[in-house]
Order: sequence, then structure tokens, then C-alpha cells
Amino acid sequence: MSVGTVTTRARVGQYAALLAYVAFLGFPLLWLVATAFKSTQEIALGASGFLPEAPTLQNFGDAIRRADLVEAGWNSLRVAVASTILTTALAMPAAYGLARFKTFLRPVTLGWVLVSQVFPTILIIVPLFLILKQFDLVNNLVGLTIVYVVFTLPFALWMLIGFVANIPRELEEAAAVDGAGRLRILVSIVFPLLRPGVVATALFAFIAAWNEFLFALVLIQDPAKVTLPLTLSRFVGAEGQVQLGALAAASLLATIPSLIFFGLIQGRLTSGLLSGAVKG
Amino acid sequence: MRLTHRRSQHRGRPAAVVATGAVAALVLAGCATAGSDDDADSEGGGDGPVSLRYQSLAFQEPTIQASQEIVDAWNADNPDVQVEYVQGSWDSVQDQLVTQFQGGTAPDVIQYESAAMTQFAEQGYLADLSGSLSEEVTSAVPEGVLDAVTVDDQVIAAPTLLQSYVVFANRGLLEEAGVEVPEGETWSWDEFQAAAAATTGGDTFGVGWGLAEPTATMLSLGMNFDATYFEGTGEDVTIDVGEEELALPERIHAMAYDDRSLDPVSITQSGSDVMTGFLKGKYAMTVQGSYQAQALTESAPADLDWVAMPLLEADSAAQAANPQTLSVAAESPHVEEAAAFIDYFMQADNLAKVAEGDWLIPASSDAAEVVSTDTEGANGWSTILAGGQYLTKAPFQSATNYPQWKDQIATPAFQRYLADEIDADQLATELTEGWESVSGG
Amino acid sequence: MTADLETRPPAPVEAPRTRRGAGGRDAWPLLLPALIPVAIFSVLPLLQGIYLGFTDSRAGLNQVTRFTGLENYGDLLDYDLFWTSFRIGLVWAVSVTFLQFATAMGLALLLHQNLRFGWLARILSLVPWAMPPVVVAITWRLMYDPNYGPVNGLLASLGLGGDTNLLGDFSTALPAAIVVGVWAGMPQTTIALLAGLQGIDESIHEAAAIDGAGVWRRFRHITLPQLRPVIVAITSLNFIWNINTFDLIYVLTNGGPGGRTMLPMLFAYNEAFRYGNFGVAAAMGNVMVLLIVGALVFYLRSRLKPAEE
Repeated sequence: MSVGTVTTRARVGQYAALLAYVAFLGFPLLWLVATAFKSTQEIALGASGFLPEAPTLQNFGDAIRRADLVEAGWNSLRVAVASTILTTALAMPAAYGLARFKTFLRPVTLGWVLVSQVFPTILIIVPLFLILKQFDLVNNLVGLTIVYVVFTLPFALWMLIGFVANIPRELEEAAAVDGAGRLRILVSIVFPLLRPGVVATALFAFIAAWNEFLFALVLIQDPAKVTLPLTLSRFVGAEGQVQLGALAAASLLATIPSLIFFGLIQGRLTSGLLSGAVKG
Repeated sequence: MRLTHRRSQHRGRPAAVVATGAVAALVLAGCATAGSDDDADSEGGGDGPVSLRYQSLAFQEPTIQASQEIVDAWNADNPDVQVEYVQGSWDSVQDQLVTQFQGGTAPDVIQYESAAMTQFAEQGYLADLSGSLSEEVTSAVPEGVLDAVTVDDQVIAAPTLLQSYVVFANRGLLEEAGVEVPEGETWSWDEFQAAAAATTGGDTFGVGWGLAEPTATMLSLGMNFDATYFEGTGEDVTIDVGEEELALPERIHAMAYDDRSLDPVSITQSGSDVMTGFLKGKYAMTVQGSYQAQALTESAPADLDWVAMPLLEADSAAQAANPQTLSVAAESPHVEEAAAFIDYFMQADNLAKVAEGDWLIPASSDAAEVVSTDTEGANGWSTILAGGQYLTKAPFQSATNYPQWKDQIATPAFQRYLADEIDADQLATELTEGWESVSGG
Repeated sequence: MTADLETRPPAPVEAPRTRRGAGGRDAWPLLLPALIPVAIFSVLPLLQGIYLGFTDSRAGLNQVTRFTGLENYGDLLDYDLFWTSFRIGLVWAVSVTFLQFATAMGLALLLHQNLRFGWLARILSLVPWAMPPVVVAITWRLMYDPNYGPVNGLLASLGLGGDTNLLGDFSTALPAAIVVGVWAGMPQTTIALLAGLQGIDESIHEAAAIDGAGVWRRFRHITLPQLRPVIVAITSLNFIWNINTFDLIYVLTNGGPGGRTMLPMLFAYNEAFRYGNFGVAAAMGNVMVLLIVGALVFYLRSRLKPAEE
């Protein structure tokens, strides 16, 4: 709470500002939703009425009936789930190792987190393309998954290390005195306590993979293997009449998974980002 | 206390970890099989039937259907060579082909357009089709069109369909303004401009013209005014932007800013955006690629009486023949079979089917005849087919660096000129100097 | 983050712990499964990418790539379009970063007030963060659409024209895109700043208020200095992310009209994947890294120095 008394005039100003923010942030979303429920004719006439005159589910039907959209959604889902599981499975032990052991890899890893942010993807993507080609992983969802895992890991580690550091070391020591082996300690003490961090990491990995565009654009060429963002982007540029309604409906559907997951993690993601940003 | 409690609670944890790992493995395996299936298809087994991938850019429903029917018919007739229809898109095809060729994942049969294929041909990615296409097919294609797909004496593609630029008009709005729909095969630019001025008034503009991507239009329709732009072939191409080249941009500019008979906003939009305005009665006329006739037949409201006007003519009615093409990837293991499929695709009946879906002119005169019989010239077809005889090879098609010049130089320069930001002299300078920097660097 | 654990002296009595604390090699089985793929698929390509910038690598069947030293960079010096694109990138990144910060700061302060309906703004401010950038771009294309979108109508009712194609017009395309950039990136900035605000000890504020310091003074002399680490971190990250923006612009304008929104990443992408000049594209990447790092060093030095004094 703020300090001191706030004058009525200041309060009115604050609410006016808040209203402006809500409008700026919310209106485009409402417009997307409204468009998704408008009939093709209503959109074509350019009647900029806000609410659909005769709300229809037609657009959702059209969007789903487009086979490529469903296929792309299925591809996106597989890649996102696989990269989530792999990222989490690799990040958990690694974050523990980095937080608990003194090793030169620790500053190296943290340095890489920063470096990987600064370097533009374009620098990486051409050689990555050639490397994946040697492993026969170009135009291949496994290849795409590996790329997502590799590029989500640094940030995932960054977040998880903070969570590991918050686990009191005494617990592990007590277990060690009891004669528990390292693996036992990890599996039965550390990982359970890490659960909030793991959930956050997993959801972060999912959203990152679900939303990603550039790698998919370059690495996947077969129309049967493209992911959802690619299909959506091609939907936009399609020559001929662009069906804005179906486009809006498809976009809405494509947002729902990441929105749900995001709702679940936002608190943790924030604290993870901040513990890194402030202290790291 | 709480912690010790937790500890005992999580005895079952290792199983969970193992389970997670197993799921990951399964999901990955799922992706892997999905991937390898398709790869196996494209390689074609040693004994099994040869499989070919045909990447089509068809985007209008009837054309997609026609292309798929051709594939199905071929597959039924040729159990040993099975073709898989793969859907591509005009918007991403350039980047996609660069990565596909580089990654060794290019489809066997590739659809694109001749001006852009020159570059890939010179990079060695395309198989030579001379001798692979039947006499019956090649003899039906006019010399000028065949030239457009010949690079260094190699036929790098089969020309399929050609686009012309057509003026579509709203008959009701023309009549209101007392403009008569011209008879005859061509329509002079002066009359077109007069009609545009006459139909302008109130909320209506005489013309809406989607020129968001102006280069192709300028170079092709510019031939009405004898605009050639380039001279030479391959790497040794020089540019000359003079009076003839500037004639078309200047006319459009004058219509937008002097007569105000052309909606300047429409210049910044795509053809299909402008088509939406035309359907709403915002424009009396619109200049479009002929394929937009499909959108008109499909979605014009019942009370909109539209008509395709005769071809525009100034010094001539010429437009550039920049045919859509079918090529075979040089790295395809089955060049011969792929060429045979293309030959089949080019048969008059097949090509006519595709052309009818897209309202484009078939490159083969045999196919054009079929279209003419099928459609009886209705829905703009008589105008569109009549345009076929005016299409000729344009010099820009032999310029290797044309695609880059188009993207980086010509498109921005034309856009700026049409937005009234630079004058015609600056346009000429930018186009010329830009060509020198693109082709020199 | 975990400085306290690192600096803790090893207790000599407990043998197992010393072993673990000192022996970095013991950690390797835990680390390597994660780090090896990272090395192969991201460190290695990065190094190769940097090297590629010194070669003439280009698309073509059986092309032989040669090391050409600094030739690409010499060519780049004369490549006006690249520098134009880089300037656009700078304008974009600086404006978006600044506006993101300014708007996010305002919203964070409001949300910190526990106003009624604050939750609504809080939730709304999260949505753009979760949306795929492609969908953000689509949403705004619907907003700006000259036939259908509401923005033109809004501008008209304010007497500001309203008959332009905002994303297609030379003078408005970049500003219109910047608005989208701000919209998309403001949420995470807000949340970071809000978390920072909540970390400030209220008693300092109270003491200052008792001393008679007004709202503005307290903001300038307490809030801002306390928030400095968060501000510097989030603006630096935003700047990097913004200058490397690709997907948003690719779908929103694809660099048009006339290259007015051609951000450097998109330019380099085109150079590589439309024209097949991989070496030149990588050289552009190298140049961008140098300039970004330079800008960051400059920014961080000017921001962080006063804090040390």
C-alpha cells in the first residue's frame, strides 16, 4: 500500500490511467475474439461494429476443417511435449550439479545464458542447419525438438538453480549421515522439494516450444511437418481472399494452450526471471 | 517436521522419474517414426514403386482440386511411379526452396515461376528437361514462352500457366457515370483513364489498384509502353530506365495524385484487399491479376454485375510472359519419372483443368482451346484468353539477380514513387543504381 | 544467486561434504547430459556461424566455401541497405525499449497501489506475453486493417485522418509496428518492475513521507534508486530482444513498405534464405553482435557507475 493520504483527484487520475491501460492491453484481444465470432459477410462489409451482429461458430468450424491446421497443431503439440519432458529431465540434475558443486562449468554455463541472449539467431541458424543436415535431422520434428531443448536449457537452468539454492543443504547432509546414497538423496529429497521449480521450468519449456517461429521456419520445409505458428503465418499471406474470421478463430485456438500454462506459471516465472535478473 | 514427512511421502519417486523418461522416449520415438516414414517415401524403395513428391502452389480451391485429380489419375495409371501431392505456398516458396535445395530435401517436382527459377538453375539445382518433354507438349507452347524457361540452352522447366493483368469493372457504376463497356479486343489507356475520371465521385473511386507489391505489375504491364528495363542475359545484364519505363508509373501516379481517380490507399494494399473494396462498390474498376476472376465468381454479391474489360493497350497490348513452371530437382533420384509426370501434367486436358480453376492462360495452345470450349468465354474468359497472344518474354526474366533487385531495390523504389515520396527522376536513379549495386556486389 | 553456499568454508569434520564441495568432477555425470547437447547444437553452431562470417559461403549445388577474411566486412561497408536496416533496427529497439519501460513503469506503479480492478489490468497484461508472437502480429493486423480494423475509425473520430493503411504507409508503418512491439513486450517489463517495487522496504517510504517528501520526490529519490538493478537488467534484456526481433515483424509487415520496417534480423534472414548468401548474412550477424555489445557496455557503464559511487 502506498503511504500517506491520497487525494480524491489523484485517485481519479489513477483510475483514469488504469482504464487507459486496460483499454490498450485488452482491446486488441477483444477484437481478436470478436472477429473470430463474426460472419464472413460482416467482416467483408467492414462494418466496424465491435460486437458480432450474429455470433457464429462458423469460423471455428472452417479453421478446424482445414486439415493443415489440425495437422500443424498436432505437430506443435508433439514437439512441445517432447521438448518439455526432455528439458526438464536434463535440467533437474544439471541445475542441482551447478548449484551444489564447485566446478568451472558453473560460470561457463551462466556465461552461456547471457551470451546466448546476445547472439542473434541468424548467426546460429545457418551452421545449425548444416549440422542437423549431417545427422539427417533437417526437415524433421526430432531435429526441431532437439533444437528447442538446447535453446531452452540455459534459461531453464538459470531458473532452477535459484530453486535448488533455496533447499537447505542440511537436509541432504542428514540423509547422507543416515547412509543414503547420492542418487537416493537426489531422487527422494531434492527432486520432490524442487517441484515448484520443475513445474515452472516445464511450463516455460512448453510455451517456448509452442510459440517458437524462426527455427521452425528454417528447419522444417515439408508442409506435413510444419508447426502451428508457421501455418498461421502462411494463412495471413495467402493470396486470394484472406478469411479474417477463420484466421482469428485459428489464432485464438492456437493461443489457448500457452495461455493456460502461462496462467499456471506466471508467478513462478516472474520470480525466476527476477532472481536471475536481480541477483545474477 | 514437515520436511521429514515429505521425505517419507516421496518414496515412490524413482518410479515417477523412470516413467517420465519412458514417456519422453516414446514421444520422441513417435516423432522419429513420423519423420522416417516420409523420408522412406521420398527415397523410394529399391523394389517397390518409385515415389515422387510434387510441391504445388495452387491456392484456390478449384485449382487445388484439379491438381489433385491429375495426381490421382496419374497414380492410377502408373502403379510403379506414385506421386505425392504436397501443398506449398506462394508467399514462402522462395525461402523454402533455398532451404530445401540446401538441405537436400527439395521435392522432385517443383512449381514456381520462370523469372525466379533462373537463379536456381544457375546454382545447378535444376535438371535439364530438354528431350524429356514430348513433342506434342512442346510444339503447343509458343516460342516466346519456351524461351522464358530456357537458361544456357537447357530447358529448366515446363511452362504451365500465364497471368495477365485485367481490368475488372462494376457495370452498374460505369452505367451510372455514362461510361460504356468497350467492345473490341483492346482498350486504350487514354480511354481507361477517362473512364476512371468519369466514375470518380462521392465515396467512389474510379480505380482501386493493389500495388503493395508493384514490381511485377510495373515490369509486365509496362510493356504496354515498350518498357524493357533490361538488356543482356545471365550476369551481364544492364538496366536502362528511360521514358518508356517511366510511362506506366507516371500514368498511375497522375491518376492517384492529379486526377484523384485512383484511390491512393489502395496502392498500399494487396490485390485481394482491394478486391474486397471492389466487392463493396467502393471502386468502379480494379486492375488485378486475371486469377482474381475466381474470387469474383465465387464471392461477388448477387447485385454486383462485374465485367472483364478488354486488355489495356498503349503502344501495344504486350505484357510479360512470366509463366508458372514445373521443374525437376537435379538431385532427385528419379529425374526421368518426374519429367514424365510433368509431361502428363502438360497434356491439354489436364492443363486446361488447372487453368480453369485459376483463371490463368494455359501455356499450351491446345489447352487454351480446351478452356475456350469448356467456358464458352463466360466470366471474363474471353478477355483473359484473348490476352494470351500478347504475352511475350520480357528481358527481366533472364537477369539472374532479378529477385534480389525486385525485393531490395525495385519494390521500395516503386512504392515510394507511388506514395508520392520521390519523383520520377529519383525513381529512375534508384532503379538504375540499385541494379548496379545488386549485380555488382 | 547462491553466493552464501559457495563461500561457506568446508567443515573438516564431515568427510562426505568436503568431497562433494571440492570435487567438481563428481558433478559431471549430472551436468554432461545437459551440457553436451548444448555444446553440439548451440555452442558449436555459434562458433561456426562466427567463422562463416569470414567466408564466401553461399547456396548452390557443390559450392566450395572459401575463407575470405575481412572481404565480407569491406563489402558490408558499402552495403547501404544493410546500414539503413540497422538504423531502422536501432530506432525500433530504442523506442520500443524506452516506451516499454515508461508504460510498464506507470502500470507497475498503479498496480502497486492495490487499486480496485487492478487484477484485471494484471491479468490482461499477462496475455500478450503468453501469446505466440505470430498471433500477436495477426491480432494487430486485424486492428490495423484498412477495411475492417477499428484503429482507423478511432483515429478518424479523434480527427487524425483515419483513411490510411497504417502498416502500408511509409510514414506510419514503423510507428504502428512500434506500438505493437510495446504492446507485446510491456507485460513482462511490468511484472519485473512490479516485483521490484514489492521488494522495496515500505518503511523507507514511510520515513520519507513523515519528513514531508512529496510523491514525486519519493519516487525519484527512493523508488528509482532502489529499483535500479531491476531497471537496468530488464531494459538491457529488452533492448537485446527487441533488436533481434524477427517473427513479429515477419508476419506484421515482412519489412515493408519499401523496407521501412526492415529490422536487421529480417534483413539478414533474407540475405541468407532468399538470396542464398550465407557468408554475408553471418557477417551481418557478427557486426550486429559487436554493435549490440558495444551499446550494452556503454549503457551498463553509464547506468551502473553512479550506483557504485
